[in-house]
Amino acid sequence: MATKQVRYEALVKALHGDLFRYAYWLCHEKQVAEDLVQETFLRAWRALDSLKDEKAAKSWLITILRRENARRFERKRFEMSEYEEAAITDNHSISNEQEIENHWLREKIAQMPEEYKEPLVLQVIGGFSGEEIAGLLSLNKNTVMTRLFRARNQLKEALDDEPTMRGQYNG
Amino acid sequence: MDDLQFRRSIYADPNTTDSDVASAKNDDPSKLKFAQEIEQLDQKIFNALNVDVPEGLTEKLILRQSLASHQQQKRKSSIKLALAASVAFAVGLTVNQLQFSHAYNSVGDYAIAHTTHEAQYFTNDGEAKVTLASLNKKMASFNGSFSEEMGELMMADFCRFDGMKSLHLVFRGKSAPVNIFIVPDSEHLAFSKKFAKGELNGVVNDFKNSHIIVVGDKQEPLKQWQQKINDNVRWST
Repeated sequence: MATKQVRYEALVKALHGDLFRYAYWLCHEKQVAEDLVQETFLRAWRALDSLKDEKAAKSWLITILRRENARRFERKRFEMSEYEEAAITDNHSISNEQEIENHWLREKIAQMPEEYKEPLVLQVIGGFSGEEIAGLLSLNKNTVMTRLFRARNQLKEALDDEPTMRGQYNG
Repeated sequence: MDDLQFRRSIYADPNTTDSDVASAKNDDPSKLKFAQEIEQLDQKIFNALNVDVPEGLTEKLILRQSLASHQQQKRKSSIKLALAASVAFAVGLTVNQLQFSHAYNSVGDYAIAHTTHEAQYFTNDGEAKVTLASLNKKMASFNGSFSEEMGELMMADFCRFDGMKSLHLVFRGKSAPVNIFIVPDSEHLAFSKKFAKGELNGVVNDFKNSHIIVVGDKQEPLKQWQQKINDNVRWST
């Protein structure tokens, strides 16, 4: 029991941040993301003995979280609403240009289609390779690479188009 | 590597370690510049994606898990306790059943079995050594007494009559000893008036709190024994 506890705590400490961020970009709400992460780790605890390879821990947890998220959609099918900008606005006071840019980019990322956003988050935050993402999302690798290309391309274009808007946005 | 292919590779993964991409960067300064641009973009994307994790999330996760596993353990241990309790209960029941169960459900069956079982210890020509006084001493625990001697009493002693304390008397009979049992009233035995098995006959006298059972062989005038008892016995309550 003690070793299981130790393993669990190590997992939590190492991976809860990435998992939370991934959950956040799936659902755009901090509270929901936190609930998802809690549910995920609780399931992970119960099934911890089935995790043989610690290196696979992150993708294992991501898989659990995706399933939990899908479950949430089944439960709340009728409560689903379109993404609202208000949901993503964080409450930090925007203090410098870096923050302004982050904020602006977050808006753009949130507006991206799910199929582009999810691989991007997995790559940038999760540090997964193209093959690993393909495995997680049950896609082939070429599709994943194309989506990653489009995701960055969209953000690049948006950034190139709107640099002057940024200051005004939060003015 | 042509420009489009290069751009696609960089866009798809700015940190790619692909050797073709690496050599293309080395060979062409404009490609290198592009790659650096996208690396910068990626840094921005990373900053944007890297939202703050709520404070204390780690602690919450660990706390929630320990609560969950605590509950699980509690459930497990209460199941264990319940199991142990039912096993103990079952064992108790069985022991009780074995020790105190009544093997016979009619008084006749038991009386005959008892008589047969002890027949080897008594012969009809044994010495009559029990006096009325010592018989009545024993009868006192049944709140009863006999006013006169009813015959030659060879043995009078307490014994277990199918789990009940009873008084066993052995009188000299015509050809074989006559066994008389004084048995307290009981719910589990059916007191039939008469019974018989093989060579043995039996009759039962019912009194208020006790039964007196007479068992003898077929030549024995049990009716007379019964009559004698009825005439002699006195109950104090």
